Amino acid sequence: MLTAALRKELLIQWRTRSQLMAVFVFGATSLLLFSFGIGPNAQALRTFSAGFLWLALLLSSTLTLAESFHAEMENRALEGLLLLPANPRALYYGKTIANWLQLTILGVALVPVMVVLYDAGTTELLKLLAIIMLGAAGLAAPGTLYAAMTSQVRAKQTLLPLLLFPLIVPALLASVKATSLVILGDPMQQVKSWIGLLGAFDLIYWSLCGLLYGRVIEE
Amino acid sequence: MEVPDPSTSKTPYGFLTVGVILLAIGTYIGLAVAPAETYMGDVQRIMYVHVPSAWSGLLAITFAFGCAVAFLFRSDFRWDARMEASIEVGVLLAFLLCMQGAIWAKPTWGVWWDWDPRLTTTAVLFFAFLGILALRRFVDDPVKRGIWSAVATIIAYVDVPIVYFSVRWWNSLHQTQSSPNTVSSQFYAPLRLNAFGVLFLMIGFIMLRSRIATYRLQHELAAPPVLTGEEAGELA
Amino acid sequence: MTPEGVVTGGWPFVWAAYGLTFAAFIIYGVTLITKLREERARAAEDGNRT
Repeated sequence: MLTAALRKELLIQWRTRSQLMAVFVFGATSLLLFSFGIGPNAQALRTFSAGFLWLALLLSSTLTLAESFHAEMENRALEGLLLLPANPRALYYGKTIANWLQLTILGVALVPVMVVLYDAGTTELLKLLAIIMLGAAGLAAPGTLYAAMTSQVRAKQTLLPLLLFPLIVPALLASVKATSLVILGDPMQQVKSWIGLLGAFDLIYWSLCGLLYGRVIEE
Repeated sequence: MEVPDPSTSKTPYGFLTVGVILLAIGTYIGLAVAPAETYMGDVQRIMYVHVPSAWSGLLAITFAFGCAVAFLFRSDFRWDARMEASIEVGVLLAFLLCMQGAIWAKPTWGVWWDWDPRLTTTAVLFFAFLGILALRRFVDDPVKRGIWSAVATIIAYVDVPIVYFSVRWWNSLHQTQSSPNTVSSQFYAPLRLNAFGVLFLMIGFIMLRSRIATYRLQHELAAPPVLTGEEAGELA
Repeated sequence: MTPEGVVTGGWPFVWAAYGLTFAAFIIYGVTLITKLREERARAAEDGNRT
């Protein structure tokens, strides 16, 4: 059941991959705009590069998360899905995993943009990848749940960020801190603790949102 | 589904009255009788209203969480009404907390916002629950509205301790100063009086607001009026 | 903060904090009572029509 749901989601994402490209451009443009916000101050840009990366990813996520329910809204496919003997939990995790993958790809794609614009490179690529994956997971879990709700209401574009942004503050803080330490140096070995916080956040919300999803999409 | 009529008892007005009286006495003692704090000076008197507001604010959203869980399990709209009420009161208190905290911080630390973990968490809480009120505004179907805002309330409430710990940690790496938000003087009377004062006000507010929510729900769920005689004839 | 560690002249801030808080409580309370009366009147009207 889960694999079927996941396959469906990945298939849809593959078919609409041009949209992901467009969101990437949005994210990259955001990174550029942030630098205009600070000015040509190489030192400051490098110091805050992690923050910019994650803010760009957060903003981009509102686009991809909302888009992930586009198929369900068209042709009332959500009702069709519910008529099947489908476990809502499987539907949730299928979509969340797909969204997680999308956000990870986005995050990884934005890293070279960050490196170039802010002179913020690192050799610890695996650690960076791990942080991006964990941070993306933190966005994907509650994001998918809220996207499911807001896709069905008016003012959906405003409500999704309105609900999501305050909630993911811990994930944002931890991701930014961890990324910042990887880029700027970690003399006191703090990265592990921030990754731990991220992991805890992900664990809590992947479980909680999975539990509650059924109630959100029931008719 | 049926929503029973809200109570018409005078209890909330009792709570409001007692709350006002307690706050009046507590504030008088706190401002006129209690001595100024040694280091913080008179500014510390803000704590006599700030700490009680914090306790009641936390209580309000905890009650909202309880109502959310109750609603999801029982589907009784009275819990939805109470949840809406307690979220609104909680948002009001959170807003006041941030304002009081800023007014306290300016003379003390020289800045309006010092990223104190408790206040920063309150700010996040404020936006989170304000968002839930916004969600309720945009959902027309009462059942969906109730379920979704209950789910959102549970998710937001679970987040509160997580936000607190992450901000505290994030802050501790930069600041060495601790924020003495606690009342360090020996004068507890104004604190206790105001604590009960704000608490009773909060209870009264939630009760009244629940009634308003219940009437609105009844109006929403009511069957359309039965046309009689002439009105029916016109449509025929 | 002054070098001695004593914060002086804080009364305007105290008035501001208390004033804001109590004003908010009063306005909210009055709004609630008014709205409740409105809703009760409307409910009575609904009751008469059905």
